[in-house]
Amino acid sequence: MRGRTSVHEDFLALRDVTFDVPQGSTFGLIGSNGSGKSTLLKCLANIYYPNQGAITHFGKIAAMLEVGSGFHAELSGRENIFLNGSILGMSKKEVTRKLDEIIDFSGVEQFIDQPVKNYSSGMYVRLGFAIAINVDPDILVVDEVLAVGDADFQAKCFAKFADFRNAGKTVILVSHSMETVKTMCDHAAWLNHGTLETVGEAAPTIDAYLRSLNGPAA
Amino acid sequence: MNYLKEVWGSRELLFNLTSREVRGKYKRTIFGQLWSLANPLALMLIYTLVFGIIFKSNPEPGNPSGLNVFALWLLCGLLPWTFFANVVNTASGSLVGNANLIQKVSFSRIVLPLSTVGSSAYNWAFEMAVLVIALSIAGGFVLPWIPLVLVAMVLLAIFAAGVGLLFSIANVYFRDTQYLLSIVLQLWIYLSPIIYPTTLVVSKSKELGGLLGTPITLAGLYDLNPIVHFVAIFRALMYDNRWPDPSEWLICLAWALVTLLLGAVVFRRNERKLAEAL
Repeated sequence: MRGRTSVHEDFLALRDVTFDVPQGSTFGLIGSNGSGKSTLLKCLANIYYPNQGAITHFGKIAAMLEVGSGFHAELSGRENIFLNGSILGMSKKEVTRKLDEIIDFSGVEQFIDQPVKNYSSGMYVRLGFAIAINVDPDILVVDEVLAVGDADFQAKCFAKFADFRNAGKTVILVSHSMETVKTMCDHAAWLNHGTLETVGEAAPTIDAYLRSLNGPAA
Repeated sequence: MNYLKEVWGSRELLFNLTSREVRGKYKRTIFGQLWSLANPLALMLIYTLVFGIIFKSNPEPGNPSGLNVFALWLLCGLLPWTFFANVVNTASGSLVGNANLIQKVSFSRIVLPLSTVGSSAYNWAFEMAVLVIALSIAGGFVLPWIPLVLVAMVLLAIFAAGVGLLFSIANVYFRDTQYLLSIVLQLWIYLSPIIYPTTLVVSKSKELGGLLGTPITLAGLYDLNPIVHFVAIFRALMYDNRWPDPSEWLICLAWALVTLLLGAVVFRRNERKLAEAL
């Protein structure tokens, strides 16, 4: 995988990374900054395409790398739900069916017919998150977006992810918060400078990663 | 074929992005959609003053319509031109302008440049409707020709889409494209019979004969410009109220299809690299 290239040289962001994500698991990707987590996630999300190797998946895949992508500031929240929904691959029918659920989840009912430029940044991301979570894929790819909204909204998000897991769906997430990974994930992979360090059950992988961080200091 | 299916599958997104542009564009303005008329009207006033009155560019009266109004004659070529120029301009910036979206969400990228065709076409249709009314008031008999005008509009939109796709990709790799483009478009309008009649070039060409002793004539070179043929069709249908030369239709059809095909192929080959290249 060639990462973002500078003008003159190619940089290999990921090399020889091979692992399986069990169906129905919540899978965490951990590693330090620049280890290639996000690049890998973008490959999974069909945004980057690997130069070598392949990614195989079963079922519909959806990615949540940023919430509220493609919102038009001058359009109302309701109009943006339809616009953003179709960018994320939902049909108009699907959005109409889920409209109440989305508005309800976002908690911005009162302002739904206001232009989104008047929204607070919290409302903005909450609406974006509510749309993205309702795409209803078999595999959901998430990048650090759990940290949106207030504590109340975060609790709602975690509950939604739990529902997801209980419905037998797969979640792949990147997080720097080991707490989050520990509570949510059953499996994890640790990336280090573009190569795969460990993959397996979440707890031992996290421990190994944390040990490596504390290692030199201890 | 698969690609066609993919694009067809994104038609709803294409529609939504187009209406995002259309609805977002004139939000919070007092005159709203009327602004889309302001630009062509201003150009019309300027060109009519400079070329119609000062330079006395005198196109032949419409045959058989009998119309002899420089401003209307001008608009029959100017409106298609401004549509074309708008599409090429906005399409060329559509990928760079939506870089953030391309890097965060996976969707059929081709809808971005194509939606600029849609939103420009919406404004153009509005302008053309006003022009048809003006022509009718001036005594032209345009109404029966409207279906053919629509066909010509679709052809020009296809041609513009093809050119727009090519420039949108070019602009990703060479950001100089957008600056070069504004110069090219300024040059292009003067190389097209928008503000002067084609007959001027033809008579000059006869005067000159073969250029530099070759059988190539000025008119022959001039005919290589596809806009010449599109404008010929629009003027024939709307200003003259007669059938355009069938060869003009064929030339426009060929330009439209070949350009769109080329644009789509180039776009498809580069689509997957966009997120990294931006």
